[in-house]
Amino acid sequence: MQAFDMHVHSSFSGGESSLEQLASMAKQLGYRGICFTAYPISKREESILKAEIERVKKEAGIEILLGFEARNIKELKFLAKRRGEFDVLLARGGDLKLNREACETPEVDILTHPEFERLDSGLDHVSVKFAAKNNVAIEVNFREILISNKKTRSMILKNMSRNVKLAKKYHATIIICSGGISHYELRDPKVLISFANQLGLELKEAKEAISKTPESIVKKIKERRSENFIIPGVKVIE
Amino acid sequence: MRGKNQLKFLLPTLRERERYIAFKIISEEPVVYEDIEQAIWNVALDFFGEHGVSKMSMYVIKSLYDIERQIGVVRCNNKSVSQVISCLGLISRLGDTRVIFKILKVSGTIKGLKL
Repeated sequence: MQAFDMHVHSSFSGGESSLEQLASMAKQLGYRGICFTAYPISKREESILKAEIERVKKEAGIEILLGFEARNIKELKFLAKRRGEFDVLLARGGDLKLNREACETPEVDILTHPEFERLDSGLDHVSVKFAAKNNVAIEVNFREILISNKKTRSMILKNMSRNVKLAKKYHATIIICSGGISHYELRDPKVLISFANQLGLELKEAKEAISKTPESIVKKIKERRSENFIIPGVKVIE
Repeated sequence: MRGKNQLKFLLPTLRERERYIAFKIISEEPVVYEDIEQAIWNVALDFFGEHGVSKMSMYVIKSLYDIERQIGVVRCNNKSVSQVISCLGLISRLGDTRVIFKILKVSGTIKGLKL
């Protein structure tokens, strides 16, 4: 199994650990790749981050991706326009309008924690149908469970289970991420699989959510980077 | 030879199927067995409750804990493997030490773990 963690925050985006610490821990835990998620930053900071990622990529020996996470609709539209300049586009869920907009935007790869700071699950059947149509993966974020407890944790678990149920019903893709902001918040892929199993996914589905779904995202990235790519769905055939 | 006050062995078909989960602790400082056992039980009871834990047949094996390599083994029944692994993932601190549990192997016998 080739596991990927597609949502990790480094010191560049409010996290506590450096890129090296995160990459080496991910390698130790058996990940094939990791995606450093940042919020939209200035061009200068972005070029520094890209240079750092290139440096860490050579040292770490695992695949390293750069993702940007949109925190509102304005940022989402801005990032969608610049989609070719980075690897993964994530939308920070929680706001109902942003959840819906992210599901309706084909450029988005992952909708992160749609139930974030909400009493409900943040997704309805219409949004999930759009997510399935546009190939937007719905994230199950382990960190939300890790940092909460008692009543809050049970509410989050309920909402996650509801999202998983909807995604299964409408064949939307699910992705499991640690969502860690420190290298000590990364988790073994087997732990994430077992956790997803508790939320109602079959073991096979849970394994796919941590390996096959990220792999398809990586494949899309490679296609987008190839010379033959024009726009999504259109490429030059030799 | 079993004594008079001991129960007879159950028939093989009536026995519970066991699974042994080997884990390695990645931490800032070495941690002792007592802290690990306490943390696993606390998390399991918090997350699954007394009724849930009663169905797991969970047991942290003291004799198999290697403090130098930070490797330990938890036993449970075959139906509760994912619950126990989830519990291990929910432990983020042992006292003041931050920890990660890396799952090494799940096996039906201790020998199969190849510790």
